[in-house]
Amino acid sequence: MGTFIQQMFNGLTVGGIYALIALGYTMVYGVMRLINFAHGDLCILGAFVGLTFITSFGGGGHLGAAMVIFAFVAAVLVVAAAGVLLELAAYRPLRKADRLAAVVSALGASMLIENGIMLVWSPQVSVFPSGLLPTTTYHIAGASISFVQVMIIAVSFVLMAALYLFVNHTRFGTAIRAAAIDQDAARLMGINVNRVIASVFVIGPALGAVGGLFVGIYYREVYFTMGWTYGLYAFIAAILGGIGNIPGAMIGGILLGLFNAFAAGYLSSSWQDAITFALLIGILLVRPTGILGERVAEKV
Amino acid sequence: MLRKIGTSVAALLALAVPGAAAMAAPSPIKIGVQAPITGAYAVEGQGIEKAVKLLAEEQNSKGGLLGRQIEVKVCDDQGQAAQAAICARQLVNDGVVAVIGSYTSGAALAAEPIYARANVIQTSDGTSNKLLARGYKTWFGNAAPNSAEARFTADYMVNVRKFKRIAVVTDHSSFATGLADAVEANIKSDHGNVIDKAYINAGSQNFTPVLTQLKSLNPDAVYFSGYYSDGALIKAQMAQLGVKAVFVGGDANQNVDFGKIAGTAAAGAIIINVPGPEQLPYPAAKAFVAAYQAKYNQAPPSVFTLTNADGMRAVLQAIEKTNSVNPGKLEHYLHNMKQFDGLTGSFVWNAKGERVGSPFTAFEVQADGSYKIVYPAAG
Repeated sequence: MGTFIQQMFNGLTVGGIYALIALGYTMVYGVMRLINFAHGDLCILGAFVGLTFITSFGGGGHLGAAMVIFAFVAAVLVVAAAGVLLELAAYRPLRKADRLAAVVSALGASMLIENGIMLVWSPQVSVFPSGLLPTTTYHIAGASISFVQVMIIAVSFVLMAALYLFVNHTRFGTAIRAAAIDQDAARLMGINVNRVIASVFVIGPALGAVGGLFVGIYYREVYFTMGWTYGLYAFIAAILGGIGNIPGAMIGGILLGLFNAFAAGYLSSSWQDAITFALLIGILLVRPTGILGERVAEKV
Repeated sequence: MLRKIGTSVAALLALAVPGAAAMAAPSPIKIGVQAPITGAYAVEGQGIEKAVKLLAEEQNSKGGLLGRQIEVKVCDDQGQAAQAAICARQLVNDGVVAVIGSYTSGAALAAEPIYARANVIQTSDGTSNKLLARGYKTWFGNAAPNSAEARFTADYMVNVRKFKRIAVVTDHSSFATGLADAVEANIKSDHGNVIDKAYINAGSQNFTPVLTQLKSLNPDAVYFSGYYSDGALIKAQMAQLGVKAVFVGGDANQNVDFGKIAGTAAAGAIIINVPGPEQLPYPAAKAFVAAYQAKYNQAPPSVFTLTNADGMRAVLQAIEKTNSVNPGKLEHYLHNMKQFDGLTGSFVWNAKGERVGSPFTAFEVQADGSYKIVYPAAG
């Protein structure tokens, strides 16, 4: 029983991170029908910005918790700005072009950011200082849950709930949903579609930056190719939940984390990924548009 | 012509080494160095040359061997097979008793049959299995074979620490799986108990699912054969999950970042590796490194400088103990030593000329991130 609860929390922690990153893929896809392959790299950029903030303003000690909050603010601001810049430079000029051109541009942007991180920071593993946050461990029914895990799970759920409320219960959220259904019709209704797209490139990367910085704080090591690893998992989470569907990305992320934990735990660690992805294929065979997907996925 | 050069070198040496001129009457015992003095491995090659010259000088200051001075002949093989063969012929013509080097297996291999035919002892850090294939009596490998790490690791875990429930963890790389398989096989041959073999995806960071499962099996040691960035996370996540087992890591876990990534959880981790020259725990090794530092104002470039120095020391010991420079007698002595106290740990040579007894040590990571050698004990 202790092992089961432990695996559940293991899965929820990474699942929360996957979900935060997956939201960026799904929102951009929902509005633009574009897979933003540079998204994973933007998220890890957040981790590096946070790390630089923490190390240059002296983390650790009693300043720890406050420093971490400031680091999150800095990471979110920088990555959101990078997201807007990315849209302006790499995607807006291609909006009327062939869909394949935008995909190539996205892949190029991914490499640009990844290698940029390598040049600015380091090709080696960068390490977060220890003692930033309390190291309290909670013991629940034989499972050990750390403070950081609780924080990651709680913050990701709060952020996801906030995003859900924003998109479904505010005027601007309605505009985002309208633009997702039909950009031309939305424009005719007086919605500034460019602003909607820009906002999607603010919200997605901002949430991703939080996810990326969680990775850094939880595991305490970041390296420049990590964006690809996490981006791939989050992208799969978005597909699993139904790409373009916001609650779908949340559910997809959490499920992927849980699948992975239980596959490694109860089946076989050497087949962990194979089992996880076989399950995904199974789900997509039954529901080709993902768990919550309504629209039939279009080819990119 | 060759003789002329030889005598002029001897004259130069006589000038360079004070007091040597007085004892120049009996002919010197010649020891060859075949090493990459230039080229990609120049640093290592020069290290071997410097180590051998240092040992020769020390011996000569004690009055040499058998009343004769030691003279060192150096040939630069550039780390290349073709040049190595030329060096071998040149050193044989120079009349050396033994040759120290070369650094690379390839260069040692090209020279090996030439030394064997001339009955000249060859001791090199080369570890290629091809060096053993022909069964030459003149070959003495001074570095441990590639399988030594697994042997040492299993011995340490099963016989020294007496772990009863060992979990082996590896990533999917050929290096780590090869090492893990070898360690597992060696544990079994030592009648140890491997309770589980688990795999992680290198770089995936999230190892808690695998470790949670291991925890339920209640291991007393977790051996990890992969790289430090994953190993440090495994150690940290073991602490987080409350896994009490001792973490034992393979050589790729040795990196300053291991301590940084694992943070406070790093303390108590055991890492198995060949120590750097400065970390060797043996008094003779400390004295050698200090003398090397004093003479050349730099540290030996790698542990292979010291394994080659061990080759030289063994040859000198053989000459002294057999009171002879007869190749057959020296080879017989070297093949039948009960124990040789090397700078890189104690070892002997088997009939194939393979080093038995590895320079590996077990380090324990301390709370401040530094390393402390816990096995074998110094002395």
